[in-house]
Amino acid sequence: MIRELWALYEREVKKTYRNVAVVFIMVVQPIMWLVFFGNSLSGSPSSFLQGFFRTSNYVAFLLPGQLSTTMLFTGMFGSMSIIQDKRFGYMKRLLVTKAPREAIFLSKVLGSTTRGLIQAPIMIAVGLAFGVTIPFNPLGIFEWILGLMMLGIGISSLYSIITMKSADWQTPNVVANMVNLPLMFSSTSIFPSTLFPWWMKGLSEVNPLTYSSNIGRAVVLGSQFNPMNLVFLLVFCLVMLTGGFLACRKWLTAE
Amino acid sequence: MASIVVKGLTKAYGNFKALDDVSFEVEEGEIFSLLGPNGAGKTTTIKVLTTLTPPTGGEAYVAGFNVVRQPNKVRERISWVSAEVILDDDLTAMENLKIQASLQGLSDWKDRARALLDYFDLTNFTNQRVGKFSTGMRKKLEIAMALLNSPEVIFIDEPTIGLDVATRRMLWDLIRNVNKKYSVTVFLTTHYMEEADQLCHRIAIINRGKIVAVGTPAELKAKAGGTVVVFELSQGFDGENLKGVKGVLESQLKDGTLSVTLDDESHVVDLLRAIDLKKVKSVKILKPSLDTAFLKLTGSTIEEAEVDYRKFYAMIRRATR
Repeated sequence: MIRELWALYEREVKKTYRNVAVVFIMVVQPIMWLVFFGNSLSGSPSSFLQGFFRTSNYVAFLLPGQLSTTMLFTGMFGSMSIIQDKRFGYMKRLLVTKAPREAIFLSKVLGSTTRGLIQAPIMIAVGLAFGVTIPFNPLGIFEWILGLMMLGIGISSLYSIITMKSADWQTPNVVANMVNLPLMFSSTSIFPSTLFPWWMKGLSEVNPLTYSSNIGRAVVLGSQFNPMNLVFLLVFCLVMLTGGFLACRKWLTAE
Repeated sequence: MASIVVKGLTKAYGNFKALDDVSFEVEEGEIFSLLGPNGAGKTTTIKVLTTLTPPTGGEAYVAGFNVVRQPNKVRERISWVSAEVILDDDLTAMENLKIQASLQGLSDWKDRARALLDYFDLTNFTNQRVGKFSTGMRKKLEIAMALLNSPEVIFIDEPTIGLDVATRRMLWDLIRNVNKKYSVTVFLTTHYMEEADQLCHRIAIINRGKIVAVGTPAELKAKAGGTVVVFELSQGFDGENLKGVKGVLESQLKDGTLSVTLDDESHVVDLLRAIDLKKVKSVKILKPSLDTAFLKLTGSTIEEAEVDYRKFYAMIRRATR
């Protein structure tokens, strides 16, 4: 299992970094977000920013949320890559070997999680360039990354489950377009939930993006760390992984 | 011992039977071909035998193991080369081989991989990305990958579809040599008569999901009824002369043309001796071929049978929805 998983994971990573255009866009895309969206509120009175976001620099508030959103969007790649392998017949090549199906599923999940995580240092660097100060807190940063990783694994597992049985490339796209935005806006990744209506507050409470954003914010804004955030993400990640394991045994098809 | 045993295999998509009570055996070390038009059930058979899809009825054993009950035992002992070349274009030849080795759980695969690359003249391209390879090279690499786990049976789906004549001949030689050198049973599908005839020890003709005949190319051709000699005549001809000529099965005189069917090619000379050649303008000898065999066995030529395959796929799509 480990060997097959490693071989397939290595493939995912190599395919990513050998594609120059993909690497370029992966670097530029998070910068775009922080540059255009992060600065959209820079003219607001400092008192408003302090009161609403608990920081005078919106980029500092956005950065942890944006990293969570990145995991959400790159999570979709796991499913697209399954479709790709089915369309080019590569899945057949995998399935006529005795390699466990769980290894195939996990390699996709870890591959897209890696893609997301690679953007973390880039975005943090861009944040620093926009005047965000991050207190030196190695444990906090470790927890932050761990949280993002579990979020990524959970999200990409979810998207992979959708595409186990089909080779249709439209479905994951429309599903992602439909689900990603509500997930993003109903979490605290972009705005705090203080002004949300009651039902959106409820949604944000069960939204994994909220929890990974909370961890990052505790690090960046230097507030109290709540371990329940990690616990919630762990549960989310394990539930999705279990779902994926069950689904790939039953449903993973060659085309 | 038989490498592949198929008994009453059926695969249905809804009401449509892609395979209908198919039975045959493939002996160890044979090059065996499933010959039939597109949509006849060739690829479905390969998919069942390589454990990609379960049959809806019947049984199949590959390398001694049941494809449904012991799929992993089968997978360890087989390899599969697809009709469309399936490699990862972003990876090098060696990296593709490495993934294959890991998926098959092979240790000490590197020497064998290098030996295979050498055998297929790919050594110079070991660390080049596969995306830049020619189709012939890609096909070779796929076969090298298929041999990596020292399989007992190798399945090759339409080995030369869409290839030029030179590459096709190269691949035939290669498959022959691989069959001998690595003593591996080769099971291939094709809709090219010539390919089945030249390459295979035995052939099963399949049409509309049913096996029509199994035998060596010579046996199948014999079923079509032997050699036909066609005479174009200049004057009236007395058919009586042919009575008592060795090997004559039947003769037919029509519009100044005489067609004589012989049981064997060796009797052509006997026939020519018996005929007054002064009355003959030209002679044509038609050897029995798989084309004539297919025609006789299925009632249509392979090209005619092929026309149906679009309908067939449309039907499968509807059935699987």
